Amino acid sequence: MATKAQNLEEKMFQQSVAMTVTLIAFSMLFATLFLGFFLVRFNTPMWPPVEIQGMPVFLPLLSTIIMAVSSFTYHRLQTREPMRGFYWKLTFGLGVSFLICQKLLWSALTAKGILVSNGNVPSMVIAFTWIHAAHIFMGLALLLWLGRFIFKKKEELTEIKLINVGKFWHFLGVVWLLMYLTMFVL
Amino acid sequence: MAFLEQHIHDEPKTFVSKYLISYDHKVIGKQFLWYGIFWLLVGGLMAMLIRWTLAYPGVPFPIIGSLLFPHTGGVVPPDTYAMLFHMHGTIMIFFAITPILIGAFGNFCIPLMIGARDMIFPTLNMLSFWFSMASGGLLLLSLCLPLGAAAGGWTSYPTLSTNLGQPGAGQTLWLLSLFLFGASSTMGAVNYITTVITLRAPGMDYFKMPLTIWGIWLTSILNAIFVPVLGAGLILLTFDRVFGTTFFLAGAAATSGKGDPVLFQHVFWIFGHPEVYILILPAWGIVSDLLAFFSRKPAFGYKMTALSLTAITVLSTVVYGHHMYTTQMSPLLTQSFMTLTMLISIPSAIFFANWLGTIWKGSINFASPMLFSLGVVFVFGLGGLTGLYLASTSIDLYLHDTYFVVGHFHYTMAASVLLGGFAGTYFWFPKMFGRMMDERLAKIHFWTTMIPLNGIFTGMMLMGWAGMHRRLYNPFIYEFMEKLMPLNKFTTYCAIAMGIAQITFIYNFVNTIFNKKLPQAENNPWKVGTLEWDMPSPAPYYNFKEIPHVKCGPHEMGNPNLPEGKDFQYQTEELVKA
Ligand code: HEM
Ligand SMILES: [Cu+2]
Repeated sequence: MATKAQNLEEKMFQQSVAMTVTLIAFSMLFATLFLGFFLVRFNTPMWPPVEIQGMPVFLPLLSTIIMAVSSFTYHRLQTREPMRGFYWKLTFGLGVSFLICQKLLWSALTAKGILVSNGNVPSMVIAFTWIHAAHIFMGLALLLWLGRFIFKKKEELTEIKLINVGKFWHFLGVVWLLMYLTMFVL
Repeated sequence: MAFLEQHIHDEPKTFVSKYLISYDHKVIGKQFLWYGIFWLLVGGLMAMLIRWTLAYPGVPFPIIGSLLFPHTGGVVPPDTYAMLFHMHGTIMIFFAITPILIGAFGNFCIPLMIGARDMIFPTLNMLSFWFSMASGGLLLLSLCLPLGAAAGGWTSYPTLSTNLGQPGAGQTLWLLSLFLFGASSTMGAVNYITTVITLRAPGMDYFKMPLTIWGIWLTSILNAIFVPVLGAGLILLTFDRVFGTTFFLAGAAATSGKGDPVLFQHVFWIFGHPEVYILILPAWGIVSDLLAFFSRKPAFGYKMTALSLTAITVLSTVVYGHHMYTTQMSPLLTQSFMTLTMLISIPSAIFFANWLGTIWKGSINFASPMLFSLGVVFVFGLGGLTGLYLASTSIDLYLHDTYFVVGHFHYTMAASVLLGGFAGTYFWFPKMFGRMMDERLAKIHFWTTMIPLNGIFTGMMLMGWAGMHRRLYNPFIYEFMEKLMPLNKFTTYCAIAMGIAQITFIYNFVNTIFNKKLPQAENNPWKVGTLEWDMPSPAPYYNFKEIPHVKCGPHEMGNPNLPEGKDFQYQTEELVKA
């Protein structure tokens, strides 16, 4: 029969199957949105179209940097056990700052007169960032959940929990990077 | 592979922990069953209202008509008619078939048949059920709105489903309800997939799993991948309705900018075509197993059947364009989709031939589960073949949006899945509830369902072939459809007959569960060797005291090397050899 170590490995395996399937599901959601975005984009005669001229440049870039740094701090959280609490706070703080950045971005768009109702391209850009931000909320909720184990119930903190929350967080980072590149850079 | 120690839950004692808030996959399965049957009745009543209107336009619906529509004296009003066919489709697909085939049988069968004590994530499982309940609640709520529930058809194409086509909150509630449903399905799918991958008992290789599990597992994979696609479409449509975005708005509907209504059709069918296989795969799996069990033979070409189901699953992801031939796609695209669609008939024909091979020269026991399974063989044959007509672009240009399509998908989806669901219910009932349903009533139920069912759906195909469009309130105001009135009457009579026949089922089902005087079922009434039949009926809350070790396939029956008086062996027994 299974030894204790084997059992642990098994458990890692199965939870990681579950997280992988979950992320495939989420990828399909975002893939559909990307599909929509590309269809819109390629049916637009001129890029960028007038509706989104003057889109802010700095805020999305800042968001990207924040996301990248938070992925890095999460990695540290996972590997540097003594500093775990510190890196958790850092990651969580960065996640919140990302949301603040997004809020500023939306206000800036509104100020520039780029509204959801101004046609397909602004609709897509704004709705896409909303949906991504909603997932960041989910990611922050997962981080809070993880925080409980880092600060309070330390004995229940397992490698699997760290890995799974991490997978989700890095996934959101990758999605943002793709969004940034396709919507704000290229 | 190492095996996880699965601990045994504490025995639930109170009514609430036993029946309401349960983590036990068997209880959740039963909850889904009741939930699905409830919606089946609601959807069925709507079907009657629709059929009545098509046979007797302008005539009040008998008995309850004046109660439901007092302001028209009992006649179904035109806007309500649109709402009825929308809700009928939605309810049957997402709230009846899905909970019964995937929710109930998926939950009940997976752990029992692969030799596990429960699903891998029992809490997620429970959550999945409660999300379903919430989504059903929203849908019910939308029926009570002053402007009525959604009425754009289950496909909810814009512009029908935009604020212009559908003012009021009905359509928005529908979108939210389906979004919750999608979340529930995805949770279920993650759970099922992981459970099958990680909790199979020692020795239960993929090719020793019962085909029921194959069907449900493949369904879950499609669910995990494609339900989120619908989710994205639903979110965007909701934004169009609530936040003023213009993804799907064009022409007069768009105040500014230019969206594309056809984009929604793409998104919908990228999900929608896999969805029809999501619904049928569990039924195919169940039928593949039952045909073998009741022919007392191993399933013919077991491995080929499993692989064909897998091939269909893969192919089903690339054929969705056959729903959109009439949207002015480029001919290159329509032809590609046509070819790909036709390709699906190869694996379909393989497993269908395997079904016939299984029955061939078997010693068939015509018990009720077998009757219903044979019914599926028949109706699926018809449904699948009519799909080929529709798959051919040139024919579909004429048949699209006619009752021929309605007949096709009722044969494949409604008839096959419904009969498959009944087969499964009669078969697993003793293991679920510990008593046997009455065989005589079950057989009456079969024949009184099967005969009118074919009347209804053949009628639909004939009127479709004659050119009758779907979703028309009163087709007979058009001269070329006038002559179809008698056929419509016939179809309606058949529908009423089939509706009445379900009373036998409801009576049998409820009576057997609650009538304490009925005898306890044997552990293995059907003499079948899969794992769930090697334990008491009903299955104990811990499933298996000892996790079983599997040594042979699921349908080892009629083996000539078996000792006298025995014609099957359990999966835990070494395969007997000469
Ligand atoms: C066996 C091979 C099959 C083929 C070749 C096939 C082909 C098609 C085609 C070409 C259409 C589009 C017709 C039109 O709108 O003009 C269609 C519609 C449909 N099929 Fe099938 N089909 C097959 C099996 C199935 C199965 C197994 C199911 C369900 C379990 C199914 C469910 C549906 C549904 C629900 C629709 C219509 C949806 C709507 O417009 O509301 N089909 N089929
Ligand atoms: Cu299809």
